[in-house]
Amino acid sequence: MPTPSSRYLRTAFVVGLFVILCIGGFTYKHISELSQTSKVVKDNYSLRSELELIISNLKDAEIGHRGFLLTHDSLFLNPYNESLQKITNNLSRLDTLIVPSGEQVEKLKELKSDIASRFKNFDKSFSLAEDDAILSQDLLFLLHEGEIKMDRIRTDITEMLELEQRLLIHNQEINEAKRGLTPLLFYGLLIVTLIILLLAYFKMTKDLKALKENNVELEIFEKLTKQSEIVSNTSTWVWYIEENEFEFSDNLYRLLGEEPQSFEPTLENFYKYVHEEDINHLGQQVNMMMREEELPFTKYRVVHKDGTIKHLKAYSKLMDDTEGDKKMFGVTIDITSEVENYRIIEQRNQELERTNKELSAFNYVASHDLQEPLRKIQTFMSRLEAKEKDRISESGQLYIQRMKSASARMRMLIEDLLQYSRTNTSEKEYLKTNMNMLLEHAKTELLDSIEEKQAKIICDDLPTMEVISFQIQQLFINLISNSLKYSKEEVPPIIEITHEEVRSRDVEQIKESLYKFHHKITFMDNGIGFEQTYAEKIFLLFNRLHGKSEYSGTGIGLAICKKIVENHKGVIIAEGKPNIGATFIIYLPFLK
Amino acid sequence: MNSDYINIALADDDEDDRLFFTEAFEELKIKSKVLLFKDGIELMEYLNDSNNTLPNLLFLDLNMPKKSGLECLKDIKSAKRLRGMAIAIYSTSASEEDIENTFVKGANVYIKKPNDFEKLKKVLSEVVTTNWQYHTSGLNKDNFLLRL
Repeated sequence: MPTPSSRYLRTAFVVGLFVILCIGGFTYKHISELSQTSKVVKDNYSLRSELELIISNLKDAEIGHRGFLLTHDSLFLNPYNESLQKITNNLSRLDTLIVPSGEQVEKLKELKSDIASRFKNFDKSFSLAEDDAILSQDLLFLLHEGEIKMDRIRTDITEMLELEQRLLIHNQEINEAKRGLTPLLFYGLLIVTLIILLLAYFKMTKDLKALKENNVELEIFEKLTKQSEIVSNTSTWVWYIEENEFEFSDNLYRLLGEEPQSFEPTLENFYKYVHEEDINHLGQQVNMMMREEELPFTKYRVVHKDGTIKHLKAYSKLMDDTEGDKKMFGVTIDITSEVENYRIIEQRNQELERTNKELSAFNYVASHDLQEPLRKIQTFMSRLEAKEKDRISESGQLYIQRMKSASARMRMLIEDLLQYSRTNTSEKEYLKTNMNMLLEHAKTELLDSIEEKQAKIICDDLPTMEVISFQIQQLFINLISNSLKYSKEEVPPIIEITHEEVRSRDVEQIKESLYKFHHKITFMDNGIGFEQTYAEKIFLLFNRLHGKSEYSGTGIGLAICKKIVENHKGVIIAEGKPNIGATFIIYLPFLK
Repeated sequence: MNSDYINIALADDDEDDRLFFTEAFEELKIKSKVLLFKDGIELMEYLNDSNNTLPNLLFLDLNMPKKSGLECLKDIKSAKRLRGMAIAIYSTSASEEDIENTFVKGANVYIKKPNDFEKLKKVLSEVVTTNWQYHTSGLNKDNFLLRL
């Protein structure tokens, strides 16, 4: 599509050309008219001189005639005959000179007949003169008649001259009238052409200015593109499909470890840099690109001259421009650091996996190998107590009791630690589970201590949730046993478990959560409680608020609780008031 | 052999556990004859010899050198002559994995070694007095692990 400005210029050019052609045409016509007029004028003058010559020749003829009449000398007949001949010539020339139609033809006819009758008169007088030597009456009459005829000829010629004069003037008037407008028209046309040319000039300067500005912008853009290619390790290239020619951006050369535009941008030259293991794959992809005119994301390696290996990724797409030329625009990116990072992450993952394996191996060692000697110590002690009791002194028996409680505590620690590390296991299967059922299981597990303490557990109806069931069951066990353990002496523990659904943004601690809604499960007891300042500390591993002798505990139970809740992307919060009770609030997101 | 005796076998590499085991049966006053094996190879050699009387009840430790309890269990359950023998797993660990594996392979009961001698006596008497021929019908994964 031509732009409006180029269309404007084209119109100006066409109009200018037309005007110039017009001027040429008019000039040609004008000049040819002028030459015609000058011919007419020339003819007019020739005609006049012919007419005057006729008169002078007639006079010569008369002089000759008179001479002969007077002398009868034939010498005088020569000029007479010459004049006769001349007049005949004059008349025949007049035939060609006069305008072949109109009055003048009539006049010429008249002239001719008058001249003819004049010569008849001459001839008659010659024949008379030959007979008589003297001037007879007849001759005198003839001479008189000749004089009259001569007058008539003179009149004819005068009339003809006048007529010719009139014709000339008339002709000039017509020509003048015709030519009168021509200079004005020329001038007008010239002015118009000038205006058009001026307008075209202004338009062109304006367009040029805009073009210049565009050029500056383009230059800036090009520089920016080059900069950004260098910074982002990307490059571009163009494949002109019709010509099968390539154009590489400067940075593509840099990605190959070369100076910009240091070799001819052809596929063959490019392939020299491709890693030999990748060349087949890339070749296939490029062949496919040639066929299907699209290159999907393709990864390959290139080798620099110094041996450095870089990972590149290319992509290209076909573009039809307005002129209908097919071009492919391609982007090639250096992804070496990505690949490197990926490799590092992969390595770290492997390390992590190995560490995890070591950890589970440690779990097994802890569960099996550590428990075994402990179990034997305990069993031997029970043997000692049963079989040798009578032979051991009272203090010895006290020591046995101390040993028993110490080893019991050690067992508890080992078991709790195992429990804690089990919450780390990778087997995290989220299944739809009825939480009421998990709570029932937890209560069954703790049945002995619940009965022993005469505890009362009041519970809301709990929902069905997607959870790792054994972990949530452990969470319930730990929370309930925590309440049972830290209950007030002589006061039967009451544990209230409530549930509600909350909107995440309404609760301070879960405001930032990705999930819109949370289940809020609250465990409230009437136990010894704790100072609010310890609310966060109690979840730390091995952290205890009380002496070992007052309350049994390993400082692991609540750490396990925290871990389990975090596994479920939830939050656990403790609130305590000394001697009134403790409240544990669990927020678990709706996993959808 | 006198059929009044219950033939009991224990395969366990741990000397102390073998001691507790025999002492417990002595104190239980159950008419029993206890055979002891130090590892899986020794056990399988005895069982595969058709001249030997098969025990009524086999206590099998899992973690043994040379041949583990699990391998023994597999071999026993695939040998026609031995298949009917009641097997109690007798192990220190009670990991889900071990319980699952031995249950699937056809053990009758899983005992976690107690840390109290009195408890040990109680567990053993419970297992020995159970008639495993009848009990198998009601066997399921939940009561597979013996709890007292």
